[in-house]
Amino acid sequence: MQATQAALAQTRPRLERAAPKPESQARMVWGRFRRNRLAMVGAVGVALLAAVAIAAPLLTPHDYAAFNRGQPLKPPSADYWFGTDRQTRDVFSRVVVGSRVSLAVGLASMALVMLIGCVLGSLAGFLGGHVDNALMRVTDIVLAIPQLFLLIAAAALFTPSLETTMIVIGLTSWMGTARLVRGEFLRLRAQDFVLAAQALGASSGRIMARHLLPNTLGIIIVQATLWLSYAILVESSLSFLGLGAQPPTPSWGGMLADGRVDMQIAWWETVFPGLAIFGTVFAFNLVGDGLRDAFDPRQRKR
Amino acid sequence: MSAANRGYVLRRLFFLVPMLVGLSIVVFALIHLAPGDPALALVSEQSADPTIVAQVRENLGLNEPLPVQYAIWAAKVARLDFGTAYTFNRKPVIDLIGERVAATLVLQALSLGLALALALPIGIVAAKRYRSGFDQSTTAGSFLGLALPDFWVALLLQLLFAVSLGWLPASTSGSDATGLDRARYAVMPVVVLAFPTAAVLVRYVRSSMLEVINQDYIAMARAKGLADRAVTYRHALKNAILPMVTVIGTQTARLLSGSVVVEYVFSWPGLGSLAYESILRRDYPVILALTLLTGAFVLFLNVLVDALYAMLDPRIAFD
Repeated sequence: MQATQAALAQTRPRLERAAPKPESQARMVWGRFRRNRLAMVGAVGVALLAAVAIAAPLLTPHDYAAFNRGQPLKPPSADYWFGTDRQTRDVFSRVVVGSRVSLAVGLASMALVMLIGCVLGSLAGFLGGHVDNALMRVTDIVLAIPQLFLLIAAAALFTPSLETTMIVIGLTSWMGTARLVRGEFLRLRAQDFVLAAQALGASSGRIMARHLLPNTLGIIIVQATLWLSYAILVESSLSFLGLGAQPPTPSWGGMLADGRVDMQIAWWETVFPGLAIFGTVFAFNLVGDGLRDAFDPRQRKR
Repeated sequence: MSAANRGYVLRRLFFLVPMLVGLSIVVFALIHLAPGDPALALVSEQSADPTIVAQVRENLGLNEPLPVQYAIWAAKVARLDFGTAYTFNRKPVIDLIGERVAATLVLQALSLGLALALALPIGIVAAKRYRSGFDQSTTAGSFLGLALPDFWVALLLQLLFAVSLGWLPASTSGSDATGLDRARYAVMPVVVLAFPTAAVLVRYVRSSMLEVINQDYIAMARAKGLADRAVTYRHALKNAILPMVTVIGTQTARLLSGSVVVEYVFSWPGLGSLAYESILRRDYPVILALTLLTGAFVLFLNVLVDALYAMLDPRIAFD
């Protein structure tokens, strides 16, 4: 007995050496992501943006809402880096604080979209049959309405504010995600490991939560990232049209609406908030695309 | 088109009916899920007298149960009767839309045309010179194009060409403009709408071309000594361009969305600016009619695109 245990103890380390611990998927994804130069540029951009949003009160040279006596529509200067607007407020400070608005709306509506999309998509994909048919027809119908028409119709029915913007974007944009998750569930459901789990008597809920969802996670993360950038674009369009964040909340879209009024005099009001939107969306797109390649290098676009 | 495909198209057309009914239910639900009283919205501009509000509720049929309201509304909508607008001199909604629809269609057609005119040659050349500098800058360019907010591009173009250089008018002056003037007004809105569309299309053209270029029949065409131009344009392009038909279908919905912002910025007298104006005035009948009609238009377009696809490519077999 003791001899066998000693023998086992001796073989154990050798066995472990023979079969090294497989690299986790997260590590492999990160490894591939890190080697993608463009994706890393995007990641740095996103990190920078997050830092600016978090540290906004420390970075603003002036109060973003304060009126600076006698300084309406002043061009960029050492004191007001991005100039001032018609109401004498510091454009730089407003752009910095605006990052919080964009990120908050983007994250919140993204969470809502992912929640609705994943629930509906996984139900349709897993249950199939009539449920799938009904859910997908509803998806087709809502998808047919040009999104901005749907958005402004919904926005017009509620009182515009930051919160309603998040909810309205969330409620009108889940269709793409639902389709994506459904397709993935349909594909996975027929695979052997799911059939094996079913044969072992696993419940539907367990199969969905333990087997299907983890395998869909990569696609969901990619979709969420790309979606975040899109939500930021949509929020700025709505705010530009006056249907999103309301003054005095400094949103980039709203600032561009001001810039449109003063276009003849103040180019800085149009250029800087727009650059902020563009840079943010671009950074998130790069990260999302890099993640897509990292999660599934076989599907890499040529 | 094969008999099976003809059956498929007919079936799709038939299924349009329940889809349109579904669409109308979605839009109807949109009105009634929203907080607030449409009658109150209509009256509030004049007075909030409760008796008047009650009278308006009665007149609008808002006291009926919801299914009855839906039936009444849907029966009218089926005859394209969307009622009269709350504002806009209380014109019938369908007349308002009729006045504006041509301007939007012109804008859409021109931008789609420009987007294709840009995307096709650029995408083809990028695919032919795979991984060259040109190819890489095309990919980078389309990435940039997708991240640019359309309304910002619109403002920048106005800033540059209308304010600084004065080459183009900033916005439309109205219907009294003559030929050349009208064209000048159209330049900036068309470019702004075409740009992101071209960015999407160029990626499809490129990847679709790349897929075709590596196939055996292309190698065969080259092997039998055909000129490069003939191989590219006669053999490859024909097959590469087919999937584009469906892409154009989906891009139209995007273009319609873009038209709201672009028409607003350039005061283009189309459906997009009508939607915007009616929202400022809380004119629900107009907003809902626009939502319903644009949705129905896209549903129709999807069927049309699939039918066209089946017609153009005899290999496609729909089940």
